[in-house]
Amino acid sequence: MKGSRALACALLLPALAPLLLFTVYPALQSLWLSFHEMAPFSRDTVSVGWENYRLLWSSPEYWHCVRVSCLFTLYTVIPSLALSLGLALALDSNPWFQGFFRTVFLLPVSISSAMAAMLWLFLYNPTAGYLNFTLERLGVSGPNWLGDPRWALVAVAIATVWKELGFNIIFFLAGLSGVPQELHEAATLDGAGWWSRLRHVTLPILSPTIFFTTVVSIVNSFQSFGQIHILTGGGPAGETDTLVYNLYRDAFVHFRAGYASAQAVILFLIIFAATAIQFRIARSKAHYG
Amino acid sequence: MAGVELSKIRKTFGGTTVLHELSLSIRSGEFVALVGGSGCGKSTLLRLVAGLDEPTAGEIKIGGRVVNGVGAKDRGVAMVFQNYALYPHMSVRENMSFALRLAGLPAVEVAARTAEAARMLRLDEHLDKKPGQLSGGQKQRVAMGRAMMRRPEVFLFDEPLSNLDAQLRVQMRAEISRLHRRLKSTVIYVTHDQVEAMTLADRIAVLRDGRIEQVGAPLDVYHDPQTKFVASFIGTPSMNFIQAAGLAGVNSPKDAVDVGIRPERIQLNSAPGLIRLGSGSVSLVETLGATALVHVALKDRELVIATPAGGAPALDSAAEAWTEPSALFFFDARGARVS
Repeated sequence: MKGSRALACALLLPALAPLLLFTVYPALQSLWLSFHEMAPFSRDTVSVGWENYRLLWSSPEYWHCVRVSCLFTLYTVIPSLALSLGLALALDSNPWFQGFFRTVFLLPVSISSAMAAMLWLFLYNPTAGYLNFTLERLGVSGPNWLGDPRWALVAVAIATVWKELGFNIIFFLAGLSGVPQELHEAATLDGAGWWSRLRHVTLPILSPTIFFTTVVSIVNSFQSFGQIHILTGGGPAGETDTLVYNLYRDAFVHFRAGYASAQAVILFLIIFAATAIQFRIARSKAHYG
Repeated sequence: MAGVELSKIRKTFGGTTVLHELSLSIRSGEFVALVGGSGCGKSTLLRLVAGLDEPTAGEIKIGGRVVNGVGAKDRGVAMVFQNYALYPHMSVRENMSFALRLAGLPAVEVAARTAEAARMLRLDEHLDKKPGQLSGGQKQRVAMGRAMMRRPEVFLFDEPLSNLDAQLRVQMRAEISRLHRRLKSTVIYVTHDQVEAMTLADRIAVLRDGRIEQVGAPLDVYHDPQTKFVASFIGTPSMNFIQAAGLAGVNSPKDAVDVGIRPERIQLNSAPGLIRLGSGSVSLVETLGATALVHVALKDRELVIATPAGGAPALDSAAEAWTEPSALFFFDARGARVS
């Protein structure tokens, strides 16, 4: 028994060691650091108790970041899920096109965030960008997408949705392939039209996939960084300053490691709470098997 | 209830024709079983009647009305699927009442009809359960209940018992038979199990390669098969076939190539007026209880003989096979019956 336990530990070690070293240890270190302040370019720390959290609580800039992050999540998660579900339904009913378009929609997922952001940087360029050029041809004067505070967050959200769409489509297509054809036929005989079949048969059976993609999309959205860094750098006027971007700036530009760690802990709690709420809802709404 | 009229139905998938100019007339209230091997087109035919597929050519009438192009929900049919096709996220009550709720019937009527169907199918205790909590037989009863709720003109059954174990299949067979007698409904029942077809149906239609080989009352088809395929398909164990040329003392019809003899019409002892089919050794004895199947290896083939279990010969013993001339069925080279 003792021997088998040792063997189990030995077998687990290759997977466990990186996890402990690169995830658990930094997370605990971050938690510890959130109660300290650290001098720039030094390992010297001073215990400050709850001061970092108190500062965050009373900081209007931080609450602005919370608002921006929530808006960004709203602008990305709902359109991304709705679009990817719609496209997956369309592809599912046209198996002939599925192979080709699945690859087309998955391509953005396979390129790096930086490359995707650069692409959109060119598209959004107010003078030479293809987007405004096209809008102009249609008789519409396009905004300064990334320079106008009213449009910047929407512009970053569009680029994010484009990048994430394929990921969700793949999951929805996999989920849809698990809905037995006979159920659709039984529902058709029961008098259900397209909408009723979608509402009463497809969506309930797809609910675990919808739940999974929602959780992953929300977590991803709260953690978005690359595209914001390249497209707007948190601007204009802080309108794309999300929690993660603010955290990055405090840690690596202002060198306030303790203050940034407190933000990391709060971000973790926000994501944890959002996921826990979704699990609670899913327990009663999602249908598993 | 309504009759079903199929006229010159053809169904093609890509370049493959699955049904060839098939015609069949089913009277109102009749129970017709479509039997045949895998890929013979029986399920395709059922789907065409259901409206889940459209025929490439031909006409389908239900209750005298041409239903080609009419949506599945407007044909007045209900279908029981092989895999039950119950909505896994709905309770038994919701599954059964789904069609009525979609149709917008008052809740009181929906509840009353659900309760009535549940009582008839002994599902009262299970109304609040999900399909995942039910046994195979209970699921099948829910599927039947769901079909009944719509009070359809025609019931369509697509191999409904094939997923059940042997004992449950016998029980459900009786259940379906009782239900048909009670509802007096028109039923088209697809099965590959000829015992189901023989025991349930008023008439059976034997299909092969997208064509109907024979239609008739079960015993008529059994006693008077028109083709070698029907003769071999209907009856358990299957009919024995020997070459007509090797049969001595019989006046075979001119074109006869094969002779068929049912296992229960072969005897192991000689008697006046019997024809000798051949002799060999007993290669296998399968005891089924009251009867035994004795396999006798002849020179070029094996005969299966059904005898009372008590009178079965010992394994490897010598045996002779005899039968009455009236028990012989002659078939020509194309498999058609000749007399």
